[in-house]
Amino acid sequence: MAVIDLTRPGGLGADPAPAAPRRRRGRVVLARLGGGLAVLVPIVFLSTFITYSLGALSNSNPAATILGQDAATPAAVARLDRALGLDHPLVVQYWNWLTQAVHGNLGRSWFTQIPVAQSISQRLPVDLSIAVLAVILAVAIGGTAGVVAAVRRGGWFDRGVTMACSAVSTLPAFVVGIILVVLFAVTLHLLPANGYVGPTTSVPEWLKYIILPSLALSLQVSADIARQLRTSLVEVLGQNYIVGAKVRGLPYRRILVRHALRNAAGPALVILGIDFPQMLAGAVAAEAVFSLPGLGQLLLESAQTRDIPVVQGLLLVISTFVIVVNLVVNTTVAWLYRTDGLGS
Amino acid sequence: MTGRASSRSRRRSLLRTPSFWIAAAILAIVAFLAVFGSALAPQNPLAINAGALFQGPGAHHLLGTDYLGRDVLSRLMAGTRLSVLTALEAVVIGLVLGAIPGVATVFLGRWFDFAANRVADALMTLPYVFFAVAVTAALGNSLPHAMLPVGILLAPGFFRVTRAATLEHARAQYVEAAELLGASKLRVIRVHVLRKVLPNIAVTTASMTAAALLAVSFLTFLGIGVQPPAPTWGGILSSDLDYLSQAPWAPFIPGALIAITVGALNALADAFRDRSSAGTLMPVGQPDPSVESVDGDRQSQSVA
Repeated sequence: MAVIDLTRPGGLGADPAPAAPRRRRGRVVLARLGGGLAVLVPIVFLSTFITYSLGALSNSNPAATILGQDAATPAAVARLDRALGLDHPLVVQYWNWLTQAVHGNLGRSWFTQIPVAQSISQRLPVDLSIAVLAVILAVAIGGTAGVVAAVRRGGWFDRGVTMACSAVSTLPAFVVGIILVVLFAVTLHLLPANGYVGPTTSVPEWLKYIILPSLALSLQVSADIARQLRTSLVEVLGQNYIVGAKVRGLPYRRILVRHALRNAAGPALVILGIDFPQMLAGAVAAEAVFSLPGLGQLLLESAQTRDIPVVQGLLLVISTFVIVVNLVVNTTVAWLYRTDGLGS
Repeated sequence: MTGRASSRSRRRSLLRTPSFWIAAAILAIVAFLAVFGSALAPQNPLAINAGALFQGPGAHHLLGTDYLGRDVLSRLMAGTRLSVLTALEAVVIGLVLGAIPGVATVFLGRWFDFAANRVADALMTLPYVFFAVAVTAALGNSLPHAMLPVGILLAPGFFRVTRAATLEHARAQYVEAAELLGASKLRVIRVHVLRKVLPNIAVTTASMTAAALLAVSFLTFLGIGVQPPAPTWGGILSSDLDYLSQAPWAPFIPGALIAITVGALNALADAFRDRSSAGTLMPVGQPDPSVESVDGDRQSQSVA
């Protein structure tokens, strides 16, 4: 497997400028954040426009749908089109939708008249709990496996991790989820196969219901993190400054954590950022396997009834989420590399 | 070249890699099933048999029966064509929309490059499941409709890989020499660049096909794009999930089929990569910040 090689200074596109005083390093991070934001603006407009134009692509006639077959006289349809703002050109409609969305108003469902923002905020905690727990599990499992494999390079654990990673990368999250259900719910009767309890009701119950979906979701990311961390850690551990630290007699654990891991963690973090949108997609898989009342179920229901405002709102929330996570990851990586990026 | 190096390159040759042959054999079987699967199916994949529900693999039903007593082997064979064809549909869309601008952008100037990159970035913020389901809401619930957005979302992967590979070769001295000799841009691309970029495109195509196949399986698992009696790999998996207490082994059969096919495609991508050293877009020792090394097979690993 080829891996993204970001362990070298400059590998992230950071300027390999001569060593700078500490104050300027902070500014570099800020500049990166600013530069990232500047690139983000067109991306946000583009992805939201794609999302909004989906509605226009559809041949559905919202006014007629809302009114029902009997009441949908041309005059009534025209009146409702005006009320919904559908008589404007697409770009104007898009702008109105976006400005409303910024204020937290995503419109109402065509069928239930429930505000879209409300249905989304009801469902979001489910996916958020799964995704957050999955990230924690992935960092714990993948991080441990990657570090141990790199330190014991060539040993049986290293070979085992490599094999497990290849095996996991062919198994989609929904298949992993089914295997976990068969194993832990149907065969061992340890955990529930489906359902959900909110953390406000009972935290242990909540954990019981989300641990299997989160585990199913995290395995792929764990494998990616383990693979990437192993590669970059092996490379970093062979560098002169690690040898130097060893010669100076620093304890190995300290060298590993403060010298090697800090420099090797960047690529794994980037992987986490790249994987995150796919994790949200995987959360839909986990929802489907474990029958959780999350965003994916809402999406499937509204796609079936062709409830376009709900679909648009969901896509907007998800893509905004992805953009924000990417920005956070990029900034964190810039911060991690604040000394190395400027030459050491 | 020393004797040792040439024997090494021979050993790494594509035709001598066992994993290449295993992968190719598996994919040949899948391709064969895609063409002849429904004709060769031992039984009618839709025939309900109330007397033989949830049977395990046996002589009469090689892979057992499902909750309606239908033959699982026949259903899998008959379902292969739709899964494979729609996966290929997405890959072709991604290839055309991604690889062509990926090569062209290097020669079309900075503004086009900036715009194309922002479009790719924007597309990458849309998770494919959400986008695909949303498009079926807009265009109507059919699998070809659902795979259109998947193809569009595969395009940024193709775009980045081809752009990075083209950038690498477009600055080579022989390209400069050809330009100085007065060769047109099209000729430079066709004669000098395209051939060098093809291995990268091949690797990406293999891993993107794996990603597309996972996408098809997952979408059909969710019930997108197919009417219930028609068999699909994901659909079989999803109905097995409802009857786990009666037949806990059942989902492993379609699950293994999906995993083996996807694994074969990934192995093929790896074999191409090892052979051509395509995919190492950022050679060790000369990091190039302007070349975004986004590995095509990252997508296939992290899909679903």
